[in-house]
Amino acid sequence: MEQVSLSKQKKIFRKLNKLRIALTKETGIEFSSCPTESLAVCNVGLANGLTKELLFEHFSKQGTLTNINLLPGKSYCFVSYLTIESAAKANEAFNGKLNIAQDNKPIYMLYVPKIPLVDNNDIWHELPPGLIVLKDYITSSEEKNLLDMHNFTNQIDGNMKHRLVKHYGYEFRYDINNVDKDKPLNEKIPSQCDFLWERLSNERPEFKHFKPDQLTINFYSPGHGSSIVMDFKNGDKHICVLLPQRSLLIMSGESRYDWNHGIVPRKFDVIKDPASGTYSCLKRGVRVSLTFRKILQGICDCVYTDKCDSFKSRGQIVENNVAAKLEKLHVHQVYENIADHFSDTRHKPWPNVLEFIQSFETGSVLIDAGCGNGKYLGRQDLYDIGFDYSAGLINICKNRGHEVCVGDCLNIPIKDNSADGILSIAVIHHLANKNRRLEALKEIVRVLRIGGKALIYVWAKDQLKGQEKSSYIKQDRKNRKSLYTQAASVSYETETVNLLDGTVSFPVHTNRTQFKTQDVLVPWKLKDENKTTFLRFYHVFENNELELLCNSLNNVKILKSYYDQGNMCIILEKINN
Amino acid sequence: MKLLTHNMLTSKCVKGVNVGYPLTINASDVRVADVDFNPDFISRLIPKIDWPVLYNAAESLGHVEDLPKETPVNYENNEEFLKKAHRALLEVEVVHGELVCPESGRKFPINNGIPNMLLNEDEV
Ligand SMILES: C[S@@+](CC[C@H](N)C(=O)[O-])C[C@H]1O[C@@H](n2cnc3c(N)ncnc32)[C@H](O)[C@@H]1O
Ligand SMILES: [Zn+2]
Repeated sequence: MEQVSLSKQKKIFRKLNKLRIALTKETGIEFSSCPTESLAVCNVGLANGLTKELLFEHFSKQGTLTNINLLPGKSYCFVSYLTIESAAKANEAFNGKLNIAQDNKPIYMLYVPKIPLVDNNDIWHELPPGLIVLKDYITSSEEKNLLDMHNFTNQIDGNMKHRLVKHYGYEFRYDINNVDKDKPLNEKIPSQCDFLWERLSNERPEFKHFKPDQLTINFYSPGHGSSIVMDFKNGDKHICVLLPQRSLLIMSGESRYDWNHGIVPRKFDVIKDPASGTYSCLKRGVRVSLTFRKILQGICDCVYTDKCDSFKSRGQIVENNVAAKLEKLHVHQVYENIADHFSDTRHKPWPNVLEFIQSFETGSVLIDAGCGNGKYLGRQDLYDIGFDYSAGLINICKNRGHEVCVGDCLNIPIKDNSADGILSIAVIHHLANKNRRLEALKEIVRVLRIGGKALIYVWAKDQLKGQEKSSYIKQDRKNRKSLYTQAASVSYETETVNLLDGTVSFPVHTNRTQFKTQDVLVPWKLKDENKTTFLRFYHVFENNELELLCNSLNNVKILKSYYDQGNMCIILEKINN
Repeated sequence: MKLLTHNMLTSKCVKGVNVGYPLTINASDVRVADVDFNPDFISRLIPKIDWPVLYNAAESLGHVEDLPKETPVNYENNEEFLKKAHRALLEVEVVHGELVCPESGRKFPINNGIPNMLLNEDEV
C-alpha cells in the first residue's frame, strides 16, 4: 500500500472538513466518524459526468456492492457494501487517491450511517404494465438457427460503428421511427421463425393472434455475452429490465405505447438483483436482437393520444365556427383571388373521372359539386350542372357555356333524390373538420337518387404511393435512395402559421413533397410580379379515412375505393333514403 | 339559368324552411337561345322533371306558348312534343332576376345567368 505523507493527509483532512460542512448544509446528511457500510463520495456525481458504470468498475473491486446511488444534477453520490470491511477497504484505497472526479482530480469520501432515502428513480423489481419477459424461450440450437438466417459477416468491415440491420416484410425506418406501410419488401419474414409463434400460442394463449409481418434483425458490435438491460421511461419513472440471452420480450399495452424504451450504448451494464439488493456487472458484447412487429394498417385510434404519432398528425380539432371562418379566409377567398390563374392550370381531366362520367347513359342528371372551372362539365347528352363556392370560377364556367350556380357543398341548393350522378373532385379536403366533411358527404347522398352514384376525390396524405411499385420492384438502390431522401428531406414542415388571431395554427406545406401532418396550409403562388402567395387550407386523408367516413353513413354502399394521382377516391351508391 | 336548372333548385337548406320548392322566379331579362335538339336526350330527361313546376315557370316568364299542361302518353315518339319540351327546358334562359324562397321569402340573385345560392352563416 502506498505511503501517504503527513502533509497529504492533512490536506485530505482539510478538504473533507470543507466538504462535510458544505454537504451537511445542502442535504442535512449525517456523517459517521467510525466506519460503516456506506460511503458518500463528496465531490463527484452525475452533475460532473460520473456514471454508475464507472463507479461500479472501481468500487466493485473492494467487495459486494448493495447500492449505488447517483442523484440527478448532484455532484455527490453514495455507495454501500455488504460489509463494513469492504467499505473500509474502499475508503483506504480511494479516499483522496482515485482520480475520477472532475478534471481527473481525486475523490473524497466520508462514512454515512445509512444512505439517505432520496432514492434515484431506477426501479428493478417491477415491469411496466403489459411487459412480459419469457426467459429461456429458445434453446441454444434454435438460437443458432435464427442467427444463421442472415449472415452479417460479409457486411462487417473495419468501420462498423454500432450496428448492422436487416429488414423483412417492411423496412423499419429509424429516421421516422416507423415503416412505410405502402412499401412492403419482397422478402417476407423467413419461415424459420414460425416456431416462435406456435410456441407463444401454447405458452401465452392471449397472444395466439399475433402474426408478425415485419422483422428487423439488429447486430450490435462484437465482444462476448449477449444479455442486456433495457430502460423503460415514463414521466420520471425509470424501470430497468434485464433481457437475458435467448429470452422473448413481449411489449404490449401500456409498456408498448405509453413508455419510451431504449438501450443505452455502454460497454457493460450494472445490474441490481431485486431479491438480494446487490449489484453486479454484465459485460456487453455481440448482441443480435430480432424485433418482430405487426404493422397496423389504417388509422390508429389508441388511447395513448399524447404519444401517438397518428393522433398528433391528425391535427387539432377545429371547432365549427372556427372552421367556417378558416374556410372563408383560406379556401373561398383564396380561390376567388386565384380563379383565373387556377383555371389556366386546370384543363387536363383525370382519366378515371372521365370514365365515371362516361358511365352514365344519355339523359342522366349529373351534378359537379365544387366544379372549379368546369373541366368535367360539357358532355352533350347529359344534363350536367356545376356549382362552386367561387363566383370567379363559376363565371369562367358560364362563359364556357356550362349550366352553373354559386353554391356551397355543405348546403347543396338542389332537391333531394334528383341526381343520377354527383362528382366531388378535390373539394371535401378543403373542409376544416371531420363533422363538416361528413356533412358534405351527407348532402351529396341526399341529392342522389336511390341507385345514383357519386365519385369522390380527396387529396391523400401519402403522395408517394403511386411511385412505390416501379421503384420498389426494381430494387434499384439509387432509385430507392432518391425516393428516400426526397421523402425524408422534405417531410418536416418548418413554418407554422397562426390564423384567426392565434386560435389555430397550421404548418405550411412544401409543394410536391410528402405531407407530414393532415391539416396543412398549401401555398399557391401567383405568376404576378410580386409572386403573391396565398395559403389554402387542406385536410389530407389517411389511407382508409375516406372509407371510414363513408361507412358512417348507413344509406350508401362503397362500390370502389382506390388511389389515383395522389388522391384517395371512392365511388358510392345510394341504397336508400 | 335554364328552366331545367330551376326545376332542380331548392332553398330547403335555409334554416326553418322545409321544402323550399319550387322557387318563384322574378326575371328582368329572359333570353331564348338556340340549343341542338336531341330527342333521345329529352325523352329520357322528362321522367326526371317535375312537369307542373316546369309549366308554371315557363308560364310565369311568359314563355309557355303551346307547352301542354301534362306530358302526353307515349311522348317518346312524339317529336313535336319533345321539341316543345326541349325549348322550355333548355332554350329559355333567365339572365337577370331573382329566385324567391316560397316559405321564407329569401331572395337569391341571378346575374349573367348565374343564380347565387350561397347562404349567410346565420341562415343555416
Ligand atoms: C382543388 S379545386 C377542384 C376543382 C374541380 N373540382 C377540379 O377538379 O378541377 C377545389 C374547388 O372546391 C371549391 N370549394 C371549396 N369549398 C367549397 C364549398 N364549401 N362548396 C363548394 N365548393 C367549394 C373551390 O372553390 C374550388 O373550386
Ligand atoms: Zn395510436
